[in-house]
Amino acid sequence: MNLFASKDDLIRWLDSLLQEYIVIAPVRVQEQTMFQPISKVEEVIFDFDNTTLSPKGWFLPPTETLFSVQRDDGQVELVPTLVEHDAVIFGLHPCDAKGIALMDGPFLQEPGDTLYRERRSRTALVGLACRQVQPECFCTSMGSAPDDPSNVDILLTEVEDGYIVQAVTEKGKALLPKGLAEYKGKMHPPPKLQAVPTKEVISAMRELFDDPYWEQLADRCLHCNICAYVCPTCYCFDMRDYTDKGKVERVRSWESCQSPGFSLTAGGYDPRTTKGERLRQRFYHKFLYFPEQFQDVACVGCGRCVRDCPVNIDIREVISNLQQVTEAKSGS
Amino acid sequence: MSVEYQPKVIGFLCNWCSYAGADMAGTSRMGYPQNIRIIRVPCSGRVDPLFVVKCFQRGADGVLVSGCHPGDCHYTEGNYHTRRRFTLLREFLDYLGIAKERLRVEWVSASEGRRFAELLSDFTAELARLGPRSKI
Amino acid sequence: MDMDLIQQIRDKARNLLEKGTVEGVIGYERAGDGLTSRPLFAYDPSATERLIFDETCAHNLVKYLLDKKGKKMAVVVKPCDSRAINLLLNEKQIERDKVFIIGVGCPGMVETNWNHKSETLQAKCRSCQLSKPLVYDFLAGREVERQAEEETYSDITETEAESVATRREFWLEQFGRCIRCYACRQVCPGCYCPVCFAERLEPLWVGIRIAPEENDLWHTIRAFHLAGRCIGCNECERVCPVDIPLSLLNRKLEKDVKELFAFEAGLDPEEQPPFATFKKEEMLEFGG
Repeated sequence: MNLFASKDDLIRWLDSLLQEYIVIAPVRVQEQTMFQPISKVEEVIFDFDNTTLSPKGWFLPPTETLFSVQRDDGQVELVPTLVEHDAVIFGLHPCDAKGIALMDGPFLQEPGDTLYRERRSRTALVGLACRQVQPECFCTSMGSAPDDPSNVDILLTEVEDGYIVQAVTEKGKALLPKGLAEYKGKMHPPPKLQAVPTKEVISAMRELFDDPYWEQLADRCLHCNICAYVCPTCYCFDMRDYTDKGKVERVRSWESCQSPGFSLTAGGYDPRTTKGERLRQRFYHKFLYFPEQFQDVACVGCGRCVRDCPVNIDIREVISNLQQVTEAKSGS
Repeated sequence: MSVEYQPKVIGFLCNWCSYAGADMAGTSRMGYPQNIRIIRVPCSGRVDPLFVVKCFQRGADGVLVSGCHPGDCHYTEGNYHTRRRFTLLREFLDYLGIAKERLRVEWVSASEGRRFAELLSDFTAELARLGPRSKI
Repeated sequence: MDMDLIQQIRDKARNLLEKGTVEGVIGYERAGDGLTSRPLFAYDPSATERLIFDETCAHNLVKYLLDKKGKKMAVVVKPCDSRAINLLLNEKQIERDKVFIIGVGCPGMVETNWNHKSETLQAKCRSCQLSKPLVYDFLAGREVERQAEEETYSDITETEAESVATRREFWLEQFGRCIRCYACRQVCPGCYCPVCFAERLEPLWVGIRIAPEENDLWHTIRAFHLAGRCIGCNECERVCPVDIPLSLLNRKLEKDVKELFAFEAGLDPEEQPPFATFKKEEMLEFGG
């Protein structure tokens, strides 16, 4: 059953959530919109295209200490990082929610990443359906939609004087404020998006590993990591131990396959020394390796990489180019 | 009860002049503040601005770079480069919010033990007045 | 768009490729949004039909020459980009006879984002007085008379006028947003170290931790490594995904280097850079 909440209801609800949970919501930071923990409901932006960075940073922070080891006088103490609070991520679009669901694949498969699992089970997702889409959006071609409720606990859809509130999971139902009336108004169709033909992309990937297409595309790539960092599903990281007097900290930070030297091994061998090899890796991970393991492509069509790539390497263009190249090769 | 603030000073002293000068201050039993940790370098020109910024990042309240007097560099011209580099760095760090008083560039010869002791006392007192540099 | 200028660029590029004078031409083409532009690498004469030049062509293409060492390439170069050529010649990173420079006079670039083109001139263009590139093999189109504002560095002096504490707070807030994507370094023609100091593990200068103090060290030293070398293309600031005002760092050093050493980078490929030289009788207030 769909419920209805006015803007005031929503604000009251958020206020009550703030008493018990960490609430992460879109806020204005200079000219941009970012997901950050809020201290006051006034900070929340309800009307935004999409945030600069996806909310994946709540589950896989840009930097975190996994644990520290304290050594004094022969005594060794291991201090794990603990997840202190339950949280609510408020206002994420369906594409970003799908991104988190995709990350569950690698991070929750046995034995599982402890911190990720802990945060994931203690965080509720309150999604916000998209009333408008941007020219770079293509979620419908990647298995999602502007009003897709599949990966959130509650989905809000803006209507004339408030929001339709749809509880999707039991967790969502328990989180809802009391006393919301049933929504009896119209359901608006979601906005339309341009389709990106993706039918043959996985088989195209299998054929084109050695194709010169990748080196040519990579000519203009700067290997700047922007695409991977703004992406809701890219999750590569680097780990390093920092020693300071008696304390050792194991730190994990975002890294990306685009960085020169990302795949450099201790013996000095690097399987991806050329620009084309590095650029190719990102697309192969998303459209071949990840689907082979987790049965879904690792792209949600949020368009952030399209929006932010300084040299306009457009994942949609790559997808259609690949299919064209295979068609040309097979003479069809 | 508050403990009196003791600034942490890192000193990069060139081996031939300044380090010898500091050594002379020590052997002549001239007292100087114990706040400084000295790092001996072959020449003040060896001091990479990266070292200085890293010191501040790691909690130093003041950094001293000391070499031979210009014209007397053991390697002939190292300290001329030091002069250019650190004039610019001092300005830049101040612009970034690290007060320029926290970076001192001095020329101390091997016989200037007293001078070393005095300038260090002066530097430490000035840093005490400025207060601690915040952790960041 | 100035179609005459564009045709000259296309004809020259095609000519160079057909004759085999160059292996490839690096220029600009229309981006996927139909509005802005992106770099184009043309290896085949037919690809030169895609070359364009207009006020959205802000990218500094000179950086790409460093990926193509040993190959003779042609590159489309604006006046600011030509300073990068001079810098790389000065630092012996490119050979003059391995690059064919297609110069263009530039009316100034406008601010652009994906699918968005404004009418506002980029800040770096407002005070640019160069009517044509400082070095080129072929000038497409004409010199462009610039109506340039005088360079007063007012953005820098305003920041200098604040207190040290205010500046500290400002920079920490700015650097707090940095996600260390290193896009600023990757796009910069002056950043070409085989192993950047930020990647060094022994000793560990910056490390992998993404936190204000580490980011601060990264930006401070990167800017300082470019002191007397930064040619002011401002690509670093343009590509930053979190809008850190990097020009406030580089221009501060540019201003100080000009005042202290009367030097501007990228004007003369033969001139000694300020930190490779010295004068015995200078900065006497620092002794000597």
